[in-house]
Amino acid sequence: MEDIITKEVLFDYFSGRVSPLQKKSVETWLAEAGNREQYYQWLHEWELKHLQAGTNWQPAFDQLAQRVSLATSATPIRTPAGSVPVWERMSRGLGRVWAVAASVCVVVGLSGWLLRDQLLYRTEQTGFGEIKTLTLPDGSVVTLNANSSLRFPRVTFGPSIFGAGPRTVELTGEADFAVRHLPDHQRFVVQTPKGLVVTVLGTQFTVLSRERSTRVVLHSGRVALSLRQQQNRPSLTMRPGDLATLGPTGRLAIAPVRHPEALAAWKRHRFSFEQTSLREIADILHENYGLTVTIKDTQLASRTVSGSFPARDANEVLALVAELLQINYIRDNDRVLFTD
Amino acid sequence: MTGLDEQTGPAPARSPQPAGPANGPVPVRDNEYFVRLAFAESPRQGFEALFRLYYQALCSHALRFVYTREVAEDIVGEVFYQLWKTGSYASVQHTYRTYLYAAVRHRAHNYLRDELTGTRTPASLDALDDTGQTETPQTLIEYDETFQRVEQVIHALPPQCQRVFLMSRFENRKNQEIADELGLALKTVEAHMARALQQLRRVFLSAGLLLAAWLY
Repeated sequence: MEDIITKEVLFDYFSGRVSPLQKKSVETWLAEAGNREQYYQWLHEWELKHLQAGTNWQPAFDQLAQRVSLATSATPIRTPAGSVPVWERMSRGLGRVWAVAASVCVVVGLSGWLLRDQLLYRTEQTGFGEIKTLTLPDGSVVTLNANSSLRFPRVTFGPSIFGAGPRTVELTGEADFAVRHLPDHQRFVVQTPKGLVVTVLGTQFTVLSRERSTRVVLHSGRVALSLRQQQNRPSLTMRPGDLATLGPTGRLAIAPVRHPEALAAWKRHRFSFEQTSLREIADILHENYGLTVTIKDTQLASRTVSGSFPARDANEVLALVAELLQINYIRDNDRVLFTD
Repeated sequence: MTGLDEQTGPAPARSPQPAGPANGPVPVRDNEYFVRLAFAESPRQGFEALFRLYYQALCSHALRFVYTREVAEDIVGEVFYQLWKTGSYASVQHTYRTYLYAAVRHRAHNYLRDELTGTRTPASLDALDDTGQTETPQTLIEYDETFQRVEQVIHALPPQCQRVFLMSRFENRKNQEIADELGLALKTVEAHMARALQQLRRVFLSAGLLLAAWLY
């Protein structure tokens, strides 16, 4: 009987493509000892071939490990009560009960304090070459570019009953914001590691906050810029089409750009270059795809590229740039060498 | 699906295959050797190995039942949590794979049944037995039929209704958001959702009735 049941038959069976008689023979086959293991082995293989959605095991695992360590560190709560009535035990060893209670409090309090960041804030991250669009609790939409992270409070975010403080997010990397205007005019604030603070009512803009530079492009609406280190200075106001750059010396400069939308082209998996040098492209490749780029000589590094091009991954960008500049490149895992 | 030719047709073509090593019925290749090695190091490393091997496929499989990403991930997470917390990972019979799949399917199936028949009680999720001791060939087939039927029902929904349902369940979007994006009235979106759930419910009810009739 078991001769009939092959991996192919079982795959067809999982996909719902077998006859009633075949199904019956699957059932008979399952009744035999040992075949249940084989069944799950094939089910697993079939599932891997037909995944319904991509999930990332790493964050789920970290969360679980934390949950388990919390549960085991708090086990003193479950000291066996035995058959002695609770009140009798309490009168006998009130001191010990208090000690247990206190240690539980300390354990819970300490782990709560250690995990306060996880409890109070949500962090969204993207890996190299990954672009993610998310909707914040207030309805604002954020598109995160590759290798970026956005942190915001879990609870106190969005329309507040108390008309309290602003909606604050912290950004590292690059993101495009479409901020929802709330009925109570609650402000939306983006903070960056370099101390730039962007304050908005309801508008669309792109923030870049990376090692190489910090800048803001405004697509519509109005935003105010200020620096955390210089709170007493009046904030600068941007108009649509403006590009604001935070220089290495900590100075803010605002100037209109001709194509503000080009600076958010990455959202549509496009790369937009305007007199962009190979040196800057190397930086972009490093930030977005984690590549370490070496350029053979300085003259090559200062050659520039202009235009807007679609590219889905690092290889496509590399091929594109090489083609445009008529140069060669060698890629070895995460290392790239450009030669003339 | 049907027809005699399906039964008689492919069989001769397959007959040479059972001789191949992959088709031997009893000796299951134990590719969990490395998992066991990792468990010998520490539970944490063991679980990390299990996650790496099975987490994604398990979530995908649970999704076939519940069609909601968060619920699927919760179910899989809970199975791992129970296995770890209770320390029963040390005494798993056969393979971890069998344990994990059996437990996830059991929970996912019950979740869907409770959701559609409206019988969820707070205890019904916690009191689950993950060991799969009670699993029979009939329950295995019943679970397979359930996720296949869910897929058929969703497949058979009118296109717009299917779209609304998937946005709501799989992408976890609010009805108002869906209405805005598709340019529909909120009432229409709600009607689509009600219709989709009703279809799903009907399938489950008829299966439940069949099962009940078969039991008594």
